[in-house]
Amino acid sequence: MPTAIDVRHGSTADWLRHITSLPGVPGHEHAAAPEIARVFGQFADRVTRDPIGNVYGWIDGTGETPRPRALLAAHMDRIGFLVKRIEKGGFLRVTSVGGFDPRTLPGKEVMVHSKPPMPALFGTKPPHLQARGESEKVVPLHELYLDTGRPEAEVRRRVPIGTMVTLRQPPVDLLNGRIASPGMDDRAGVVVVIRTLELLRDRRPEWDVVGVATIEEEFGTVFLGARTATERVDPRLGIAIDVSHGDMLGAREADTIPLGGGPGLTVGSNVHPRVFEGLRATARSLKIPYHVEAYPASSGTDAMDIQIAREGIPTAVLGIPCRYMHSGVETVEPRDVDACARLLAGYVAGLASDWSVTEVLK
Amino acid sequence: MSANGARGAAPAFREDFLESLSNAAGVSGDEHRVREIVAAAVRDRVDTLEVDAMGSLVARIGVEGAGVRNGNARTNGSARKGRLPHVMLCAHMDEVGFMITAIEKEGRLRFRRAGGIDPRVLVGQVFRVGGAGVRGVTGILPPHLVSHTEEDKVIAADDLYIDIGASSREDAMRHVAIGDTAVFDTTYEAWGSVRKGKAFDDRAGCAVLASLVQERPPVPVTAVWSVQEEVGLRGATAAARRVAPDLAIVLEGTASGETPGAGPEESAPRMGGGPTLTVHDRSLMADARLVDLLRRTAAERRIPTQWKRPGIGGTDAGRIALSGAGVPSAVVSVPCRYIHAPAAYLDVRDARRTVELVWHALRAIGKEWSES
Repeated sequence: MPTAIDVRHGSTADWLRHITSLPGVPGHEHAAAPEIARVFGQFADRVTRDPIGNVYGWIDGTGETPRPRALLAAHMDRIGFLVKRIEKGGFLRVTSVGGFDPRTLPGKEVMVHSKPPMPALFGTKPPHLQARGESEKVVPLHELYLDTGRPEAEVRRRVPIGTMVTLRQPPVDLLNGRIASPGMDDRAGVVVVIRTLELLRDRRPEWDVVGVATIEEEFGTVFLGARTATERVDPRLGIAIDVSHGDMLGAREADTIPLGGGPGLTVGSNVHPRVFEGLRATARSLKIPYHVEAYPASSGTDAMDIQIAREGIPTAVLGIPCRYMHSGVETVEPRDVDACARLLAGYVAGLASDWSVTEVLK
Repeated sequence: MSANGARGAAPAFREDFLESLSNAAGVSGDEHRVREIVAAAVRDRVDTLEVDAMGSLVARIGVEGAGVRNGNARTNGSARKGRLPHVMLCAHMDEVGFMITAIEKEGRLRFRRAGGIDPRVLVGQVFRVGGAGVRGVTGILPPHLVSHTEEDKVIAADDLYIDIGASSREDAMRHVAIGDTAVFDTTYEAWGSVRKGKAFDDRAGCAVLASLVQERPPVPVTAVWSVQEEVGLRGATAAARRVAPDLAIVLEGTASGETPGAGPEESAPRMGGGPTLTVHDRSLMADARLVDLLRRTAAERRIPTQWKRPGIGGTDAGRIALSGAGVPSAVVSVPCRYIHAPAAYLDVRDARRTVELVWHALRAIGKEWSES
């Protein structure tokens, strides 16, 4: 029977502001990993990092060894850009790592992560200088450029090709505690893992629990970090925590869950029904509101690769409602993050040592 | 000391003015926060300081008849032979921005633009709404939910909304009212000689003008920080009638042209290339004698200057020039990248040189200008 665990209120917003502000695009998670490892270390018994860059926070369970392990995965990479070319005048062209709608970029400020970093912005042409009809055309990413304002020679000296670029938008406090920030996808999930570790430190489960901040969820055809982390940890179940589309104008109700409405629990081929049922029972028992999200084929999360690692892992997906995903103003409500952490902690704290989904039928 | 001191050195450009002016919100028709900053910056340096009927700030230094309400400085002055010309310096306080036009029942804010803003720079941005500066964002559907037929379409400003996080209309109305103005939430910054901020059109001019009047100019000057330039050059139209100057110089933050691949025609003026002079734009044929005086002054002082692309844009000078019986007028601009967008750049050396150029041009006007 899950036990209600109280999250200390008042700091989830601070965690969100802090963790979403760390850079770290796919392949450049080293920019965030040391700080995430440090924070994991505040709550976990052990913190480790593997050779490809995943960061693990381990909570030792109370059961007899060898204990089963629960893997809680949130990806620490956030979408961004890499410098691909420097042009006359010192203007930079970039390639995206992760899916942006280029319509959200003109005029946005960015940080070019040279040493030391230099601020820049996506240049735009003022209306005074535009040809008639120009403002009716979408500018694709390959026609957008970054301007640091600095002399070309300095830019060429300080910005190697491949340098990471991130949207430079400080977290914005909105009404009702909501926070808009680039990188909510999926640093909000990392904060869920942090808060879950914090809860479990004081309420030990029988199982070992391994929170992992994974790499490269937003890039490529394989969720590399989730796959390799699962191979390494050998969990008996795995749960991916990621953002889900929040309710917003123009989106169908079927595609979204409401901000402030609690976690989204995914059903579909990517989720094991018993893990889903266990999470739902915990939510009901703890009186945590939730919404069910139906994804028959692909959840588009780390659970895709957790599920097919090793000999197959029972998985679930926990969704944090988030508006305007993949823009500079990804918006999340901290109480949803708290609700996710309470649900996860309550669920894993209630897992018995002999829990298993594999069956021997004969 | 004489009314109009003949000390040689130009006053320094006050970057602190630029910073506070850039950060302040002042959409056309709602310029009072900017006006308060300018007034505090110049109050102790000017002979008179007034707010006119439209909201423009008018400061006189060494102008005969100054302080006499509705006094006609031109007539008073012209009665004396050999008098110094009375110069109006003007920069506009307003910035392009937004006004809240509706609060929908789900708490979303609809807005209309004041001034020319490309709708493409409005997506995924952060805004400060109303006097309290409530933060709001303009999000759009995530790419995951956008159909291929939609992704190539520019989102019209009317289809965007500002999300302040409100849960309902009632929730939103505790913080925002219809008619509140909104601005881009951009913070002033400096690196190298670059200065980044919003509203450099025309807070750059406002800061140059506030810097100029820190010293007593060599000729009688009426400094006007005008309202409503971005919605039709309106504030200066009225202010010029009140000031009735002999000459006018308008101080602007103008669009620089350099972009990747721009040819020599498009890429002028450029940021860092010095104060920018206007031959003509859509509103004004600059007074050729005044432009020549500015050009010669720059050459003598070894101040680099450049030319604005002719026929583009318009400024308060267009209205001042046709005020009353006509006022010979010119424009000196600080070239800025990305005006009318969330964040602009300027080169602080251009701003310093603009103060220097205008100051020495005032001296030259005092020496050589005649109305013959």
